Amino acid sequence: MPEHLRPVPTPREPADPQPDALLRAVADGDERAFGRLYDLVAPRVYGLIRRVLRDPAQAEEVAQEVLVEIWRTAARFDPDRGSASAWIFTIAHRRAVDRVRSEQAAADRTVRAGVAAVDTPYDEVADEVAIRLERQQVRHCLDELTELQRQAVTLAYYQGHTYPQVSELLDVPLPTVKTRMRDGLIRLRDCLSAGVAA
Amino acid sequence: MNPDVHTLVGPYVLDALDDVERAAFTRHLRECEPCRIEADELREAAGRLADGAWSVPPPRLKATVLAAITETRQLPPPGAPPLRSAAARTTRFRLITAAAVVVAAAGAGTAVHVLQNQRVRDAQSAAAAAQASEARVRAVLTAPDLSVREQPLASGGRVTVAGSALLGAGVIMLAADASPGTDRVYQLWTIRDGTPSSAGALAAGQSTIVQVVEGLPTASEVGVTIEPAPGSAAPTTPLDALVRIS
Repeated sequence: MPEHLRPVPTPREPADPQPDALLRAVADGDERAFGRLYDLVAPRVYGLIRRVLRDPAQAEEVAQEVLVEIWRTAARFDPDRGSASAWIFTIAHRRAVDRVRSEQAAADRTVRAGVAAVDTPYDEVADEVAIRLERQQVRHCLDELTELQRQAVTLAYYQGHTYPQVSELLDVPLPTVKTRMRDGLIRLRDCLSAGVAA
Repeated sequence: MNPDVHTLVGPYVLDALDDVERAAFTRHLRECEPCRIEADELREAAGRLADGAWSVPPPRLKATVLAAITETRQLPPPGAPPLRSAAARTTRFRLITAAAVVVAAAGAGTAVHVLQNQRVRDAQSAAAAAQASEARVRAVLTAPDLSVREQPLASGGRVTVAGSALLGAGVIMLAADASPGTDRVYQLWTIRDGTPSSAGALAAGQSTIVQVVEGLPTASEVGVTIEPAPGSAAPTTPLDALVRIS
């Protein structure tokens, strides 16, 4: 299997330069900047939460909390630790996972999963082209992982499972799951940065 | 620090740890700069997974959020004075971490081990008890009036007793270096007016436990003995540790 050397098909700008500048303005109380930031990140914040929760109504509620939280805590963002979008999606993911775990309604969710898994069409939205490319790149890079790496990473990230749950679902020992999550993320990181450099 | 903790960076970045392990790992990150850098980098990659979940939110969401922020006060930049003293927070943090390490060492993964006492026999009630007990452990360890005592075990290891008079409860954390053999078990005692009463015995082969004890702050001491399995009604062997509470 090829390692992370394949470039993405189309050259593009470095990932999201705008959210960082916008988030800095938001930290100073700039509501218009927040509106712009909303347009850039809300579809991914909402989409991610919806993917984890599998319930559009709950996803909307949690997305609202997260977006207001971003406004509230913008001054705590530390650019030395990473990008604004990673900071934002970390908050979104954490909230979604907290909600899933507090629910403890795993059985319900599994039943509902079958009917709610279709993504909303996204064609008319601004920034569509850039985001579509990013989305394509992530899918491509996920394909570069081994089967076990991909399953370990996506069961945790998109479905909010803990690693012992993932271990049980995949019937793989705990230490293996921990390791596959880590080396899967490393390979994902390498693949994504190879794309940016291309 | 438990060397095992470092392997948790993947699950940590994917939010696949429970709260107790997460607290332990967050502490590990403070002490380990390379780990922090790795976690930041991997978090950047994990964040990109959000790209793959893109979905248009309902249009009303934007109006709701924009209205909400006009009424939401923003936090000041970091550096503002903390609410609690740093020392108090550090102690609390260290304790949660200690509990986490004991739990992790016990191989529990997600739940605090429940003592194998005579009343909790069937698996289902044990699972329910484990969940309740984990929440109670966290409540005790974050109580504002928490007091903590620690003693070495004569047989090797440590016992830590944390109590909150406010909650009327405490947590005993036992971390022995080894289990006392197949036919002997560690047993915990609370002592009032010189009279010990059992706070539970560990299972044979078990060397670590995090045990919630209701009413603990009214006891004067906590004792640990090594008893014949499955435990005794009253101590039959010399104390392995004695922790004075009041």
